[in-house]
Amino acid sequence: MIYACQLADLPRGGSLRLTDVPGSPPVALFHTEDGELYAVDDTCTHQDASLADGFVEDCAVECPLHAAIFDLRTGEADGMLARFPIRTHRVMIEDGAVHVQVSEAVPYLPPGARRTVAS
Amino acid sequence: MTTLDPAPAPGSPAPGPPLTSSLVPTLSGRWYTDPEIFAAEQDRILERSWTCVAHSGDLAAPGAYRTVTVGRESIVLVRGRDQAVRAFYNVCRHRGARLCAEPEGQVRRSLQCPYHAWTYDLSGKLVAAPNLTSMPDVDRVANGLAPVAVREWIGYAWVCLAPEPPSFEMDVIGSVVSRLGDVESIEHYGIEDLALGRRISYDVAANWKLIVENFMECYHCATIHPELTEVLPEFADGYAAQYYVGHGAEFGEDVAGFTVDGSAGHPRIPGVEAGQDRRYYAITIRPQVFVNLVPDHVIVHRMTPLATDLTRVEVDWLFLPEVIASGADIDRSVELFHRVNVQDFDACERTQPGMSSRVYAAGGSLVPSEHHIAEFHRWVQDRLA
Repeated sequence: MIYACQLADLPRGGSLRLTDVPGSPPVALFHTEDGELYAVDDTCTHQDASLADGFVEDCAVECPLHAAIFDLRTGEADGMLARFPIRTHRVMIEDGAVHVQVSEAVPYLPPGARRTVAS
Repeated sequence: MTTLDPAPAPGSPAPGPPLTSSLVPTLSGRWYTDPEIFAAEQDRILERSWTCVAHSGDLAAPGAYRTVTVGRESIVLVRGRDQAVRAFYNVCRHRGARLCAEPEGQVRRSLQCPYHAWTYDLSGKLVAAPNLTSMPDVDRVANGLAPVAVREWIGYAWVCLAPEPPSFEMDVIGSVVSRLGDVESIEHYGIEDLALGRRISYDVAANWKLIVENFMECYHCATIHPELTEVLPEFADGYAAQYYVGHGAEFGEDVAGFTVDGSAGHPRIPGVEAGQDRRYYAITIRPQVFVNLVPDHVIVHRMTPLATDLTRVEVDWLFLPEVIASGADIDRSVELFHRVNVQDFDACERTQPGMSSRVYAAGGSLVPSEHHIAEFHRWVQDRLA
């Protein structure tokens, strides 16, 4: 479990990219306009781009680079550009602090990002 | 004795016409033909002045974009999700590819370079690029699209490429005030609330200054504009609406509306005052806009100088939204000034070849009803000095 931020510092519609996650590629944390919190893999499985920079509508995030869409609840890809899902992670709030329990599943990463993590 | 005056040597430029208090000189011919002068005009006039480039209705929804030419630059205008219109150089900051190749279009959230997919949000910020996450030192604002100053006024987007634009109030609104006497006179027409009824684009094989000069005088009206002179009889005197401050040419007694045959037009724009009714006003906003105001519609001309001898003129006919929504016939209204434009642009195209004649090397002359054009010439020369 890692500490992400104070809930008060992540307004609705905001996102946060967590780069310092032990043993994991970066994680994206979203606070949707509806008030839900979601943590998913930050890296689009199609090509290396940050989903935290993407656009959230309802329960989906659209990659800013090629508009691949992932379901924030399940991690499912739209199957058009991105064929592989992103992992979803548990979010917990304790005394106003947001924590993320990173999934132990193996992440799908596009080729460019695989090199980055390996190094 | 004139008979003893030596004849000009063959091949030498002709002297200018004999000038008197009635005749004052024009610019010399090379001002209309010399590519170096044209380049200087692009640099010091077209790329430094406020330029009217798009109707706000062309950028109706967030993500609607339009590419336009200003001076030697391609500029992309886009309406943001916050409804503001922004303008950027149409150049990817990465390797310089033309960002938007189409003249207009609609994007959802971002402008993306078709070369390496550098992706900019509608405020110009770099939001994504392949492997950008591995380059945390890349400043997304500094590497965002290069912005251009933009203003929306009278339902049009105006841009200025100067890093420190001149005062919009002085240059643009000031032009209207010096023509009409006050800014309220144009506000009465509520141009920003009018709807686009017709747009015609003319490619004119003439230098842009010939088109400005033509618009400023009416010495030619009785000769080439039979329909316009029928509707505005005082134009037969040759004194244009541009000559007197605040003066609008009055419709003829038997003229019902500003139409090609003088028949009735459409309901008067509600804000137009009684003193403006049945009158025609013409305004030049340097360097590239002409506006015509008549009681039931407004005509906006936007010029884009493309070469010494080529100018694109886009003309919008704007009517009350309910007139357009009702499907009313606007053909006779549009046809009047469309004919005037064709007549004017034919005259400009007839003039352009003469600009490179040795006979015109020292220029020609302006008659008293054209003397105010000399002030335009001084303005151009001052800008290039």
